[in-house]
Amino acid sequence: MIDSSEASAALTDIEDTVRRVRQSQIYEVSSLVLLMWGGLAFVGNIAGWFWPRYGLYIWFAVYGVSAVGLIIIGVYHRSKSRIRVFDGRYFLTFGLIAAFGIFVCYFGQFTPRQQTAFWPIYIMLFYMMAGVWFGYAFLVIGATIVALTLIGYFYIPGISLLLWMAVVNGGGLTLGGLWMRRS
Amino acid sequence: MAELDDIIHQPLRLKIMAALNALPAEVGLEFVRLKKLTGATDGNLGAHIETLAKAGYVSVEKAFVGKKPQTTVTATAAGRGAFARHVATLQEIIAGRQA
Repeated sequence: MIDSSEASAALTDIEDTVRRVRQSQIYEVSSLVLLMWGGLAFVGNIAGWFWPRYGLYIWFAVYGVSAVGLIIIGVYHRSKSRIRVFDGRYFLTFGLIAAFGIFVCYFGQFTPRQQTAFWPIYIMLFYMMAGVWFGYAFLVIGATIVALTLIGYFYIPGISLLLWMAVVNGGGLTLGGLWMRRS
Repeated sequence: MAELDDIIHQPLRLKIMAALNALPAEVGLEFVRLKKLTGATDGNLGAHIETLAKAGYVSVEKAFVGKKPQTTVTATAAGRGAFARHVATLQEIIAGRQA
């Protein structure tokens, strides 16, 4: 028979393993979401660069496709792992996040250039907050994209900022997704 | 008085059972994922999975995904029960109900 300190160590091992399993599940589904958003952010920025007059409609379309994509990823992950990752509460949360962003842009009277920098930084804020609780990968990805977005905002002139954002935001999210899949 | 399960108590087998029990019933983990989660080597992990399978605590399914072989390990109902009893015994030891 073992003593209480050995029993305690065994329970700590169990808790640590369970935490790692949960984290790997979060990383698995998040990596798919990151890859999807990476592709959409790339396409959205490139389309905005080609047709700047239709930028607003392009981003509405991107967010619409993104919502459908989240549903598909949720269904796929559930069929594979029998764990439900997205439900109505998640979509309500995303809706509130988007609504607050629109509210800030409207009252702040942001220029299109400022909005180009604001949205990725704003979304990455939530990634970084998620990183504090669920895994530092989110924190690293978020901080890197925020830093590169700010560099672009201050040093890339004119509409070329959209090309920079296609690479930084689209590329950053895609690389982050691939890295998360390997973690 | 409950007894510790000698098969589960071995450190790596304890981690394997903890990982599989963290999933819903009948959902398994691929060998590669299990290796990453437990930090074990291929040979070591394979040997301990075999021990658990012989005890009826896990089932092992081998399949081909494309051209790649894929081994999936799943905790059985007996394994889940044994793991729950083992954890309860550990908690009893900590609470001082067993020496």
